[in-house]
Amino acid sequence: MDLSAVQAALSDKSYSALAPLCDELLLQAASKGATTDEWPYSVHLLAHLYVNDLNSARFFWKSLPQEVKETRPELAAVWRIGQCLWNRDYAGVNTAAQGFEWGPDLAEFITAFLESYRQRIFKLLTSAYSTISVADVAHFMGMSEEDATNYAVQYGWSLDAATRMLTVKKLKAQTNQKLDASKLQRLTECVFHLEH
Amino acid sequence: MESLEALVAHIQGLSGSPEEVAHLHSLLKQADGEPLRAHAAALVPFLAHLSPETHSLGYLYLLEACATSGSNLSDFGGGDFLVTIAGFLTACSADQIRLAPDKFLNVCRVLKDQVMQLIMPIRGIAPLRAAVRKIQSSPEQLTPVHADYLLLCLLAKQYKAGLSVLEDDIFEVEQPKDLFLYCYYGGMIYIGLKKFPKALELLHNAVTAPMSMLNAIAVEAYKKYVLVSLIVNGQVPSFPKYTSVSAQRSMKNHAQIYVELSTSYSNGRYTDLETFVQANSAVFQSDNNLGLVKQVLSSMYKRNIQRLTQTYLTLSLEDIARSVQLETPRDAEMHVLRMIEDGEIHATINQKDGMVSFHEDPEQYKSVEMLEHIDSSIQRLTALSKKLASIDENMSCDPAYLMKTGRDRGRFDGRFDYDDYDSVPHKYF
Repeated sequence: MDLSAVQAALSDKSYSALAPLCDELLLQAASKGATTDEWPYSVHLLAHLYVNDLNSARFFWKSLPQEVKETRPELAAVWRIGQCLWNRDYAGVNTAAQGFEWGPDLAEFITAFLESYRQRIFKLLTSAYSTISVADVAHFMGMSEEDATNYAVQYGWSLDAATRMLTVKKLKAQTNQKLDASKLQRLTECVFHLEH
Repeated sequence: MESLEALVAHIQGLSGSPEEVAHLHSLLKQADGEPLRAHAAALVPFLAHLSPETHSLGYLYLLEACATSGSNLSDFGGGDFLVTIAGFLTACSADQIRLAPDKFLNVCRVLKDQVMQLIMPIRGIAPLRAAVRKIQSSPEQLTPVHADYLLLCLLAKQYKAGLSVLEDDIFEVEQPKDLFLYCYYGGMIYIGLKKFPKALELLHNAVTAPMSMLNAIAVEAYKKYVLVSLIVNGQVPSFPKYTSVSAQRSMKNHAQIYVELSTSYSNGRYTDLETFVQANSAVFQSDNNLGLVKQVLSSMYKRNIQRLTQTYLTLSLEDIARSVQLETPRDAEMHVLRMIEDGEIHATINQKDGMVSFHEDPEQYKSVEMLEHIDSSIQRLTALSKKLASIDENMSCDPAYLMKTGRDRGRFDGRFDYDDYDSVPHKYF
């Protein structure tokens, strides 16, 4: 089975491309009747989690034979991260990811995953909260309270030391409003169609 | 009947140009049938001399004879034979196999039956995906392979693979059963991917398709239709006018418990709904709908919170929890956070005061992305209306239709009343 494409993507750090790549390779290998013992299960599962495609991750896990699930501790550890994501246990994701001794192939991938997850959570907190306690920020981001405060302040949040509350600074939404001439052509076609 | 060697030689020699292939086709039709099947075991080594791409038609005849010969496929080296079929489906030339569509469909059916028997549905996905494209004369045509392909995707839990076939709009259907299965399985795939609005579309088509008598697929589709309607809209719409009479009359009788569920849902109390679901969980389980029913249940919180946004500008977390029947304000906070993440609500949580402020949708429909979106929608609608106009024109020229409308208007004694016939396009004059 030719897994060189997967290896190449891993070393290139093009992690978002990994999930569709692995899916397609799996289908092709299955149609040829190849056995899937050396399949990179952990990488495949983590690839789905990286792009936050929880549905695919769940179905992938469900379709695995029991024997595969039991004999691969690394795979089970990746799944624990997936479970936390599914249950929206925002803090649990960090504990699950940081609390395991990852092998060399996965270690970098896990770090990249945690980084992108942290950014996503921070964006969510920015849009959802106007004020939030320091304890909660630390809890969601999986950092210590001090690190969390420094991270937030970096992005313009202000700290009220007395109540241990952070006030969120909202990002100005960027909207692109430039039009171009081809739209006129479209509009003409549209009106022509309506007239006839 | 010619010997096998002679046949194979013909295949190899006559697969060049379209005329040669047509000649080959008539030769193959002569050689086809029981005599070929009787030699099934001997055919397999000959397949190795042929190439699936260039000799597709001949390869297809021989392969079909082996596959439908009734003997156990393991006689042909079991798993390897499956690989041969899979390889053929992926590599064959579409032009050649369209000359013998029935045989092609038989081979696909055999592949699907085999992988299901081996309980390895994933093996059939890549070959059937290729097969759908090969046998379709256009992306708008529905084939029997569509339903088989979607079934394998469901069984193998490869839901995303099913999308490639579901994204096309279908305009031509030959067998009604294909349409029902396509809509039902397609709906299930979208449900699995949590794309509920698209699932609703497909299930709606299954429920409202023309049928002279109620069929089991439509009934199952209706059950899921009720559940998905509740998740998406919070209510189940009544049957549209174009639904068949048999469906309007008896569909609900076969899905009584689902109708009761939707009544309970519309009352808006979580605890009542929960009791109802638990009381009837055995029935839902035997319909394989328990998971979906649980999603209906959890959508109740979401719906009730959304209802609050219509009345209040700000509300305390405690009040939200109380009104929606959640345990603690922290639960309410987590629910709201989840809904914000999913884009189901526009709100900001203020932890200091324990309040939530509800906002309007910030989308102003002025950005370039939104314009692109509107633009592509307009294009699709224009194409659709052109298609509808051409279908309408074709139907107006149809003799059966003209006879029926002529009959309804009464006799004309041979006189042509031009005003009456103005709507008929002047193709006939």
